[in-house]
Amino acid sequence: MRIDQTHRTWFIGTMAGVLVAAVIYVPYTLTSPEGANGGTAVGLVYGSLASACMLFAGLLGARKKVPIWRIGRAQTWMRGHLWLGFVSFPLILFHSGFRFGIGLTRALMWLLVVVFASGIVGAILQHFMPRLTTERIPLETIYEQIGRVRLQLVAEAQTVIDEVSAALAGNVSQATAQQRAASASAGTMGGVTVASGLQVDEGASAQLQEFFRREMQPYVANGGSRGMPLADRSRSQSMFQQLRLLLPPNLHPAIEDLENICEEKRELDRQVQYHRILHGWLLVHIPASYALLLLGAVHAVMALRY
Amino acid sequence: MPPDAIVERPARPNNVQLTIDGTPVSVPQGTTIFDAARAHGISIPTLCHQQNENPVGVCRVCVVDVGQRVYAASCVRQAEPGMTVKTNTEPVVGVRKTLVELLMSDHPSPCARQQHSGDCELERLAAQAGLGQSRFPTRTTPRGHDDSSLAIQVDHESCILCDRCIRGCDDIRNNWVLARRGKGYQAGIAFDNNLPMGESSCVSCGECMVSCPTGALTNRGVVKSHLEGDTVDPTFLTGLPVFENVSGTFLGLNRNAIVERRFKAGEIICREGEFGATAFYIVDGMAEVYLASPIAHVKTEGGARGFLSKLTSLLTSRDEDGRNEESTRSYIPIDASVDLPYRSPIAELGPGELFGEMTCMSYYPRSATVRAKTDCTMLEMLRNVLDIMQRNKTFREQLDRTYKKRALDSHLRSVPVLAPLTADFIDHLREHVELLRFQPGQVICSQGEVADSFYLVRLGFVKVSQHRPGGDIVQAYLARGSYFGEMAFLTGTPRMATCTALDHVEVVRIPGDDFQLMLDRFPDIRRKLETESAEHVEQNRQRDAQVADVSMDQFLSQGLMEAQSLLILDLDRCTRCDQCVRACADAHDGVSRLIREGLRFDRYLVATSCRQCRDPLCMVGCPVGSIRRRNSLEVIIEDWCIGCGQCANNCPYGNINMHPFPVEIDDLLHPGRTVASVKVKATSCDLCLGHAEPSCVYACPHDAAHRVNPPEFFGGLLKRQKIAKQ
Repeated sequence: MRIDQTHRTWFIGTMAGVLVAAVIYVPYTLTSPEGANGGTAVGLVYGSLASACMLFAGLLGARKKVPIWRIGRAQTWMRGHLWLGFVSFPLILFHSGFRFGIGLTRALMWLLVVVFASGIVGAILQHFMPRLTTERIPLETIYEQIGRVRLQLVAEAQTVIDEVSAALAGNVSQATAQQRAASASAGTMGGVTVASGLQVDEGASAQLQEFFRREMQPYVANGGSRGMPLADRSRSQSMFQQLRLLLPPNLHPAIEDLENICEEKRELDRQVQYHRILHGWLLVHIPASYALLLLGAVHAVMALRY
Repeated sequence: MPPDAIVERPARPNNVQLTIDGTPVSVPQGTTIFDAARAHGISIPTLCHQQNENPVGVCRVCVVDVGQRVYAASCVRQAEPGMTVKTNTEPVVGVRKTLVELLMSDHPSPCARQQHSGDCELERLAAQAGLGQSRFPTRTTPRGHDDSSLAIQVDHESCILCDRCIRGCDDIRNNWVLARRGKGYQAGIAFDNNLPMGESSCVSCGECMVSCPTGALTNRGVVKSHLEGDTVDPTFLTGLPVFENVSGTFLGLNRNAIVERRFKAGEIICREGEFGATAFYIVDGMAEVYLASPIAHVKTEGGARGFLSKLTSLLTSRDEDGRNEESTRSYIPIDASVDLPYRSPIAELGPGELFGEMTCMSYYPRSATVRAKTDCTMLEMLRNVLDIMQRNKTFREQLDRTYKKRALDSHLRSVPVLAPLTADFIDHLREHVELLRFQPGQVICSQGEVADSFYLVRLGFVKVSQHRPGGDIVQAYLARGSYFGEMAFLTGTPRMATCTALDHVEVVRIPGDDFQLMLDRFPDIRRKLETESAEHVEQNRQRDAQVADVSMDQFLSQGLMEAQSLLILDLDRCTRCDQCVRACADAHDGVSRLIREGLRFDRYLVATSCRQCRDPLCMVGCPVGSIRRRNSLEVIIEDWCIGCGQCANNCPYGNINMHPFPVEIDDLLHPGRTVASVKVKATSCDLCLGHAEPSCVYACPHDAAHRVNPPEFFGGLLKRQKIAKQ
């Protein structure tokens, strides 16, 4: 979620809450004989508030499971998740007196740090990455459809290659019997080296097919092809430049088509990369959050009971 | 017949004696030289004259030397006693040749007739005279073509103004459609008050075409396709009342466009959703017309909610799962003379009835399945023949009678607002209503004119548009079962919109007096119409206010101006989490109506989801009228959709999806058994009716999805951009 001026109310509220908690914490920690402690009344209040905030933040996942329930707009829940999740961290620190403790408490504290840090990273990524994606991937497609798009690109490239090969074959087949005879003997006719022209066409067709089979098809068809020459724009440009030298100028637009297909594939790879960055942090944040809530509940029961 | 074969007849007391080419002849008084010569086996060439028409002597090709100062047109000059006529002297032949050459200079060669059948009379004369390239300059300004008729092609370039078509139309058929227009060099033939032939009162009897000596009026070449069935003898057809007064020659030329088909009881004649190009006329037997598609909507179980669950689509009927956008209609409109009752969508058709008109005339998918109830004989016909039938006065009267007798009742009752009408008032209307037919593009009523009628759409689609300073705005497309023309009566003002036939349209006209009587007698109807009218006025006012604010060329090109409600995603905020798509699927029984892909405008993605267009092209062509507007904004698809895909094809933005679901159908190979099959139904965004906000917007956690009014939203955006640039 983009954090902008629409978050002002939440920001002010959160900061005010943290300030109030801090203001209460200072005399509390100075007057307590053993310093701030989670077992004291004030400490329990901090802990309870932090747990409530974390619980609310955790409920976002459940809210998303029922998107059409009219229980508040999803963006309100998301704002709550962000800011209440944020405020829970200082509250827990006030609850624990800035100590990590041992055993379960220590594990909980580290989990909190992981959840908080991953959440901050996530918030930063969600603030910047959508704009970056929009700017750098103009041909963005639906993430789940990328595999299918890759196959379409392969089919498209295959069509272009077939057309170019057919055009080259057409040039050869249209040659007269005399030209063919001259070609076989590599002679000249009327001052024009006919034979070499025909040989170039046949050779070019074979080279083009070979390029497609060895380089382009594996690159376009597969994801995770970072190490391949066509994944690098400058190397790709030089490879296509060589192809242009092989082919007559009237077929150069076809080479441009192939080059564009590779460019589109690079964009798809970039989209995959950005998508993973944009959503990858959730792989840490969500399990850690569930663990935190679960262990937090265990901690609360154990602390209150024993 | 050679001249020497002529047997000299004895002179009668009232006969006239004259000599033609040295042969003494005797003919009754009043006989023209042309007829006298013909009766005695002497051939005089002519163009403007034929035996079954009164002579007018306009082409002068039949000139003969009667021994006077000027040559006489033999077709109009009567034989006189003692007259010596020379038809074939060198000067006469020379004059004739010059006349033909002059006519040829204003006639494309070869003309359409010469190309098709090689029997253009003018070109034959020119060939006989040994004429090659004309010495005279050709016309520089084209006279034009008229392709508006489905049956007859009019090529004014080939017309030699012989008037044979005019006499055929007026004197022989008494249709009085054709006449001359213009003077001198500008002269030509005209239909009614110089209307295109297809829009005129021409009944396509074909008489003009068979009278024309050149390619000016020719049969349209749409008869090449061979229909399955037995070819019908034109004399059989002309014996049927519906083909009364149609030229047998014309039917002969269209022999391949109409066939006789026999169906055994139980045999399927056509299936709903199939595309076709023919209409059926029942000669004898009974047929059942029904909807085979279940009246239900698509519901998908699993998929969207369950992580690992299987996606299965099912159909849910209204009884099991009522929807809040339910229509109150009690009849489903189809492409036949009857409507189908909603609860039991089946009806019968009998001899003299026609079905498949919209499929035939406008190539819409078949709206219902028709099965022979008894052994049936039908005439299956292509467009040009149906057009002839529909222009035939006898058939029109028959259609009108059948409609009033069988369909008027259900048609009126199928319009929810007219439901309170009583049987006696419908009987009263039966005597007064009129079926009117309009060609594509023809204006039914115009904005600003004084209202004199109320209309119900029986067939085809009517475009309702309003003229505004910035251009015309399409208010709605009205399909069968809709009505128009009521607002002017209710408000006492001139017509507020122009209604135009979008395709081949038939409307039921209720005269103003009867409509007024209806309003007075049924206050409920008046109240409902007034409520709807007030809503329309308010919506129009809002639209006008929006349109006046905006002038944005760049997004006109994306069609965004046409939208009333766009789903846009702010790509700077959207994390591509697809929560909107999931919400949409959850809100619509598991079938998402939006795809998170589409055009980009600035940093906004215009998602593939119904735009609720001002000009909802999707509605045009629905053969059963199941896609419609609700409150003039939301486009909804009713449960009786037959899955033909016409709306999905028509939507320029790909915002209507065809969703497949499994059904059991009759096994054609093993009668009595059923087999599993797949059918489809159309789905589109309904703006989550009943909720303040669409689910996709409500469920977006990142404040990225918005439903916006394009002129308001993008208007503001562009203004800000303009200010920023300055």
